[in-house]
Amino acid sequence: MFKYILKKEFLLIFRNLHALLVLFVMPSVFIIIMSLALKNTYSNSIDVKFEVLLTSENKSKDIEDLLKKLQNNNFFNISYSQKSSDDKTILYSKNYDFLIKIPASYLKDIQNNKDINVDVFSTADMSIQNINLLKSQISSNISKQLIKNLLIQLDVNTQETKDFNKSIKHHYVSKENSFNITSVQQSVPAWLIFSMFFILIPISNTFINEKNFGTLNRIKSINVSMLPILFGKIVPYYVINLFQVLFMILIGIYLMPILGADSLQIKGNIFLIFLLSSLVSLSAISFALVIANIANKSEDATTIGGISNIILAALGGIMVPKFIMPQSMQELSELSPMSWALDSFLEVFVKGGTFVDIKEYILKLTLFAIICFIISYILLIKKGSK
Amino acid sequence: MAIKIKALNKSYDNSKVLENLNLEIKEGEIFGLLGPNGAGKTTLISILNYLEKKDSGQIKIFGKTYEKNKNYIQSISSYVPQSYAFYPDLTAYENLEFFAALYKIKSSSMKDAINSSIEMTALEKYRNKQAKTFSGGLKRRLNIAIGLLNNPKILYLDEPTVGIDPQSRKYILDIIKNINKDKKTTIIYTSHYMDEIEYLCDEIAILDKAYIIKKDSKENLINENALVTIYCENEEIKINTQNGYEELLNTFEKIKQENKKIKKINYGNKSLEEMFLKITKQDLRD
Repeated sequence: MFKYILKKEFLLIFRNLHALLVLFVMPSVFIIIMSLALKNTYSNSIDVKFEVLLTSENKSKDIEDLLKKLQNNNFFNISYSQKSSDDKTILYSKNYDFLIKIPASYLKDIQNNKDINVDVFSTADMSIQNINLLKSQISSNISKQLIKNLLIQLDVNTQETKDFNKSIKHHYVSKENSFNITSVQQSVPAWLIFSMFFILIPISNTFINEKNFGTLNRIKSINVSMLPILFGKIVPYYVINLFQVLFMILIGIYLMPILGADSLQIKGNIFLIFLLSSLVSLSAISFALVIANIANKSEDATTIGGISNIILAALGGIMVPKFIMPQSMQELSELSPMSWALDSFLEVFVKGGTFVDIKEYILKLTLFAIICFIISYILLIKKGSK
Repeated sequence: MAIKIKALNKSYDNSKVLENLNLEIKEGEIFGLLGPNGAGKTTLISILNYLEKKDSGQIKIFGKTYEKNKNYIQSISSYVPQSYAFYPDLTAYENLEFFAALYKIKSSSMKDAINSSIEMTALEKYRNKQAKTFSGGLKRRLNIAIGLLNNPKILYLDEPTVGIDPQSRKYILDIIKNINKDKKTTIIYTSHYMDEIEYLCDEIAILDKAYIIKKDSKENLINENALVTIYCENEEIKINTQNGYEELLNTFEKIKQENKKIKKINYGNKSLEEMFLKITKQDLRD
């Protein structure tokens, strides 16, 4: 009997190509867009540097020195203007990202213990990280100039004050092998999990059609257990979820480098990836079965399912990385199964973690899948037997 | 006796749907269940098919107690719902194959069971076409074909001809008559179409507001009011003969004296529909 239940489910899935296509196209597009969009977040340089206009009342030697030093970085393109120091609208009229207003005699003023004001203006949408980056560039270069002048006064041979920032190099460390974290490494697992949970839409649609067409009642009137009917729904969608995992990994490895992003590196154990994918899939399918049992119409399932998926994704760090969330939100995100899935995937994909590192997430996902399955089974049996 | 129901009660949220319902359905007959919307027909069929629980009462099916013989009763029954309860994206054959598997028909005899159902419902030409491409009549036939797979002793047909053209209806009614004739299947048939019930059924029960308000043979129900209608030239005279024939005889005498010509005489209700409207009081139901 189970063979025919599976045959029916597979036929229904493969004859609904639109839904199938969405499950593969949607996450692929997300992975491509988010990997390319976040590329600079994980990189030591950016493709398009910020345009910065430095202004002062005249171009003194100190200003020239500062300009030269500020030019030497991976993030800012510095130009100079003697005019428009009070005209902040230049940010928009000339497409600058930053405007720096600095007194031409700033170095002498500092050395004479006078207060100086350096004003930095930016466009309204500038992130605080980028503003702080520019401020630290300015202050470190001024400090270097001061130290150099001091050493000259003391008649010490300085040559060039050493840029210690260049000596400080950051390395991401994985547990097994050394490799760099990239936006692809972050985006593939995140959007893969999101798409696996989106299996809710086709599952609930077929299930609700069965309810509304009276097919489910007809099945109940036959002397047949509901367990194989539910298991029959799990197996085909589990297979699809695994194909999604494979497809997204292949996109990360082969397509992303062609599009100018980094290639996905998998250093974690393949068995662990398979185990995690299976558990995430079973959690997603069981959750979908609960929603399908609760909803009475396809529209309800799409609304309830779509909204709950988006909330779980937002909470779980899929849309916004958890590390930029405040502490309270990070604690709240621990309630989302997508968070458990993402943390465990990142542990394996990015950090090369082992079973021990993800055992807590495995337990949580397993329990979530079992509880959802039991709830959906009870709802299925109870509904109609009023 | 195929079905014996004693003092059956069912209510939803304090609203009685079936109250003290007693019913006997003989083996091998086509039993018509009539009633306006909300009368309790579908609830009764749902209870008999274990889709809803009864509050109280006794049910025996082929002598077996309802509660203790669920597996047996389900194995000899088949329920054809009002809706198209199959998968539109599957072909007729794939649908039948799936339901045959649920009926636990062995692989060796599955093909025969499917072919027999296809033959009885004349779906041979359409066996490999997706059900979503079918006309309303073909969909109704497939719905019935699925119900025949387990060769049931009792077949429940819940308004099986809703929304189809008269030709398809006639075709389906003949199929149902043939199933009853060839396989001696007891058929419980609900419908809003009185002409169908009149055409098909041997016994009829009328359900209204949770009660069976009438149960009798088709002939008795139609004739029971003993209404004689005499159609003369430009005149229609109705006489109730329930309390004797004196008035009828006087009327004939009068017609003779006046030298009127009798065109037609009808005995009983004109149709089942007339009788149905009469006893359910004709008021509009939700």
